[in-house]
Amino acid sequence: MSRILAPLALLWGNGRARIGLVMLGGFILMAVLAPWIAPYRPTYGGFAPMQPPSAAHLLGTTQLGQDVLSQLIWGARVSLMVGALAGGLVMLIAVVIGLVAGFLPGWVDDVLSLLINVALVIPGFPLMVVLAAYIPVHGVGVIILVLSITGWAWGARVLRAQMITLRGREYVTAAAFAGEGIVRIVFREILPNMTSLIAASFMGAAMGAILGEAGLEFLGFGNPQVVSWGTMLYWAENSSALLAGQWAWIFAPGLALALVGTAIAFVNFGIDVISNPRLEV
Amino acid sequence: MAKRFVFLVFTLWIAVTLNFLIPRMMPGNPAELMVRRIVGQGPVNPQLVHAVEIMLGLPVGSMAHQYVLYLGNMIHGSFGVSYTYFPYPVMQVIGQALPWTLALLGTTTIVTFVLGTALGAFAAWRRGSWFDTAATVTANFTATFPFFWIALMAIYVLGFLLHWFPINGGYGAGLTPGWNGTFLASALDHSILPALTIVVAGTGGWLFGMRNNMIHVLGEDYVRLAVAKGLGGHVIALDYGARNAILPNITGFAMSLGTLVGGSILVESVFGYPGMGYLLYNAVGDQDYPLMQAIFLLITVGTLLANFLADLAYGVLDPRARRGGESS
Amino acid sequence: MRDLTVAYASRRRHSSVTAVRGVSFDVNAGEFVGLVGESGSGKSTVAYALLRLLSGGGAVGSGQVVFDGEDLLALGPEPLRRRRWRDISVVLQSSMNALNPVLTVRAQFRDTIRAHAAMSSAAIEERIGELLDLVKIDRRFAAAYPHELSGGMKQRVAIALALVLRPRLVVLDEPTTGLDVVVQHAILADLRALQRKHGFAVLIISHDLGTVLMVSDRVLVAYAGRVVEDHPAAGLLEHPHHPYTRALLDCYADPEAEHVRITYIPGLPPDMGRLAPGCAFAPRCPRADERCRREDPLPRDIGDSRVACHHAEDPPVEGETAPGAYRSGASCVEARPRDERPAPPVLTVAGAVKTYRRRHQSVTALAGVTLTLAQGRVTALVGESGSGKSTLARLITGMERPDAGGVHFGDLDVTRLRGRALREYRRHVQMVFQDPFSALNPANSVLYTLMRPLGNHLRLSPREARSQALALLETVGLVPAETFGAKRTSELSGGQAQRVVVARALAAEPEILVADEPVSMLDVSIRAGILKLLDDLRTDRDFTLLYITHDLLSARLLADDVVVLNHGEVVEQGPADEVIAHPRHPYTRLLLSSIPNPRRARAV
Ligand SMILES: Nc1ncnc2c1ncn2[C@@H]1O[C@H](COP(=O)(O)OP(=O)(O)OP(=O)(O)O)[C@@H](O)[C@H]1O
Ligand code: SF4
Ligand SMILES: [Mg+2]
Repeated sequence: MSRILAPLALLWGNGRARIGLVMLGGFILMAVLAPWIAPYRPTYGGFAPMQPPSAAHLLGTTQLGQDVLSQLIWGARVSLMVGALAGGLVMLIAVVIGLVAGFLPGWVDDVLSLLINVALVIPGFPLMVVLAAYIPVHGVGVIILVLSITGWAWGARVLRAQMITLRGREYVTAAAFAGEGIVRIVFREILPNMTSLIAASFMGAAMGAILGEAGLEFLGFGNPQVVSWGTMLYWAENSSALLAGQWAWIFAPGLALALVGTAIAFVNFGIDVISNPRLEV
Repeated sequence: MAKRFVFLVFTLWIAVTLNFLIPRMMPGNPAELMVRRIVGQGPVNPQLVHAVEIMLGLPVGSMAHQYVLYLGNMIHGSFGVSYTYFPYPVMQVIGQALPWTLALLGTTTIVTFVLGTALGAFAAWRRGSWFDTAATVTANFTATFPFFWIALMAIYVLGFLLHWFPINGGYGAGLTPGWNGTFLASALDHSILPALTIVVAGTGGWLFGMRNNMIHVLGEDYVRLAVAKGLGGHVIALDYGARNAILPNITGFAMSLGTLVGGSILVESVFGYPGMGYLLYNAVGDQDYPLMQAIFLLITVGTLLANFLADLAYGVLDPRARRGGESS
Repeated sequence: MRDLTVAYASRRRHSSVTAVRGVSFDVNAGEFVGLVGESGSGKSTVAYALLRLLSGGGAVGSGQVVFDGEDLLALGPEPLRRRRWRDISVVLQSSMNALNPVLTVRAQFRDTIRAHAAMSSAAIEERIGELLDLVKIDRRFAAAYPHELSGGMKQRVAIALALVLRPRLVVLDEPTTGLDVVVQHAILADLRALQRKHGFAVLIISHDLGTVLMVSDRVLVAYAGRVVEDHPAAGLLEHPHHPYTRALLDCYADPEAEHVRITYIPGLPPDMGRLAPGCAFAPRCPRADERCRREDPLPRDIGDSRVACHHAEDPPVEGETAPGAYRSGASCVEARPRDERPAPPVLTVAGAVKTYRRRHQSVTALAGVTLTLAQGRVTALVGESGSGKSTLARLITGMERPDAGGVHFGDLDVTRLRGRALREYRRHVQMVFQDPFSALNPANSVLYTLMRPLGNHLRLSPREARSQALALLETVGLVPAETFGAKRTSELSGGQAQRVVVARALAAEPEILVADEPVSMLDVSIRAGILKLLDDLRTDRDFTLLYITHDLLSARLLADDVVVLNHGEVVEQGPADEVIAHPRHPYTRLLLSSIPNPRRARAV
């Protein structure tokens, strides 16, 4: 129990991380409580279309007469879910590749590091676009898949480096002397000392995924019927919302994305400070 | 040096091969899809599909055979014919877009790198000052805003409300591209907003990287010794601090460049800027697979080359890497 | 320095640690002054305060640093900058990292000169050449980058750099820590010669009394942020005043003497964040009385020295003896008489060769080493760093395989062991590591650390393992065992951590224990305690010990036999007392003469 709580308490002690955690908590709450706090169903299109912000529709209405505020609140669900799932998948790939490469010097590491380096220099977003263009079905699942395939390299690189550092620690050798097997050494001795790095990589991956998803959906690779911040922007752009003076329709989802991103960056900043005290301001 | 070159060639080969494999791994035949579009909703004529396959240089024969053919085509720079701009070859279509992107992305990459690095170094040097706080907080925001959203806001405020800049395209309507003053002035005018967007969105990443490195370096013993030696502030900040702190920033070049390239695709699309990003956006929308693939390949090659140059620069800047060792 | 106080503020714990508590001392022109103290005693902090280089939240609370009648602490930034390096220069603790990695040696001399004087390029070039000559480095290394120099060369360059403006005072913070004994010795000797010739003053800081006594005119002894004794070097050895100084001196001995014995100071230095009232040394001091625990002693003059102790002039008490005389008791380690009985071999290494390939060059770590470990005996493996000691340990424990030659444990060919067989082998051969903090996983508790080998090797149930682990903790002197068992390993001090490492190695009840430099990372006052523990354990438990060290004194104390390794070859071996008292090989003699030993130091 204290394994999980103690680091959180430490994180809470850092001013910026606390702000980030509060913001992130707020967004998660908003997503979970969407059915209760959103004024209308997000897909209900019975209002006058293309209305600027008013008392009835704080952020205006869409070209189909849907309430923008309700869409914003519901949209948090998709964005956060993609962040969590794609971030998790990316992390999983990064952890497996990074740890294996770091733990097995020799040809295994050579091959995997080459793979990491190649994946690192091939620009991710164009690759995402091309992959998404070829996959016949469009939707959140595909986007998560594409994001995971293209996003793991950075985390793998960082984790590999950390693994190499930790592998050289004498306590790893000592564990072998204590009769521990490889699996237990990796998972019980090494991994617990990488938690802050893994957490940071997960956060970074989630943030990349959320932004990547929004970008892909904005380009029209999402399922336009799903309500998310990315598709909101897609529809707003395609309905020339700006030229119609509907700035809130575009402003709000973008700001939401940025605030989630900032929250994650703040949390990561806190993790960084904890694991690297020199950065403390 | 030789090692880096081998890596460059290897990554190029991987990119080319990926480009070959992706469409072939996907369910459904892209050529068939295309033909379906040509003939509308009606039944598909297999002969027509075959004609399109040949025309677009699509799959015939065994995979190995196709691969060899494909590699040959790549070496000769023949990427087939564009579907949207039929019958123009893909290369010709790209040739029109390339200068725009090179100018936009080349300039903004350099500007963001220089600006971000300089601001980051200064923020770290004046750590805890109002400048540091302002710079980090601002960068924290701008670095997390989606590129295309900043573009939209820029259009709305600076273009639509204030009418300071044109909001669409790469040059004024009615002008013909050429090396004349009117055209260049118009092109410049049209480039300012996209460039500004990329700079605003892209600088934060460099800034953070540099600030962190610099803080780390300023805690090193050699900086402490530099202070003890009574060196002037600017010598310590530049020769001892920034000179060392910039090295990891160059190692991280690949990631930041990737973000910038991805972001610029979206930015070009938003502005309807006639570069590769917008072309890619349109190619995807029109399901113009040959064009799309060629663009992906070219963007990748450009990125790889830029990374290669960054690697070379690293070798020059870090004496420890000069002896041909591996930079970790 | 007058009544200097320095505190470190910690933002995270919202507290502050007073690292230096009212320190006063003088350094006269041309004088060579040494400052000794254990880790955390505030030595470096004094140096950094003096140079106005405090960082990490450290700030001078009160006091003055007067140089030539002017308070350096009151100087504005520009006047301060101009006086830096001209008046006081410094060689930093970890000089490995004191040179800017992206500038050549020449550039780093040049910017220093340029910051203070207008000199022509040719003149600068000439000065750089002169200085490199002075520290015995070839002039062509002026064009080299720091990474192209060895550790010893970097140190010499750092010293040359400190002399470039002919400063009046040079501060040296642990100038030779981390270097080989042989290199260390040479650098110190050269430094002393340079100082005699050029007449600058030196403040040298070290945790090693031997080093300081070897070169200094006067010695300052620091303890818990105080200078507890300020004494001319000449009389220190014979008449130390402060009980701490006395105890520190007893941590050393001459390995060549017929009877060798060292003592250690029980207990630990105080936690600077939570100092009790009274004398900070009281909990460890044999003379401590009520007054000591109540009243913090102020420094006062005794003859030509200054001492902070209430009982400095009292005669030695029980547990203390006259300096230099031998004493006995629980807190001492003594070289035992030679065991003449024959002992059967348990492990043999025959003609072991090991070469490491690093990029384009290959390094021969072992060039055909043959060695036998005799049942129940202690064999010391000595040699400087890079001589192949640790490589040999890795071959013996099965961590690596030799390129040629064999390692046999009874009938077992160790070089062929893999997987399960290797794990099985580790029931018989265990290891004590050099750096206790690196050898213990900070994420685990002490109890968990000890229970694992018990469960794995001895197949004990968790309950049995638990009680056995607690028994082990008591064996290594960590009592109460329950309290220590519950701690995270990261909460232990260096000495405690090393005891846990020893306990873990003993858990499987191995026949052979390999200890690779087990005390070199520990403070002097704690070292002897670990040596004593190893010595006692091997009497009680009867295992064979391979003790790896670069320190001949501890080898002499612990070992029956000594094997001297140089460049991957055994150059000399035999009974410990004989090899050390009558070394035959020149390399052994060099090693011996390089030991910083206060009892001989004054002869230098
Ligand atoms: N940056 C810092 N922040 C907080 N406390 C510090 C800091 N630096 C040193 N201290 C504390 O100040 C005290 C003295 O430290 P100092 O480095 O001066 O000791 P030292 O005698 O030089 O030790 P060593 O032999 O390890 O170099 C210690 O208790 C240490 O924990
Ligand atoms: S003052 Fe007392 S406790 Fe302190 S050193 Fe002297 S005798 Fe020991
Ligand atoms: Mg120190």
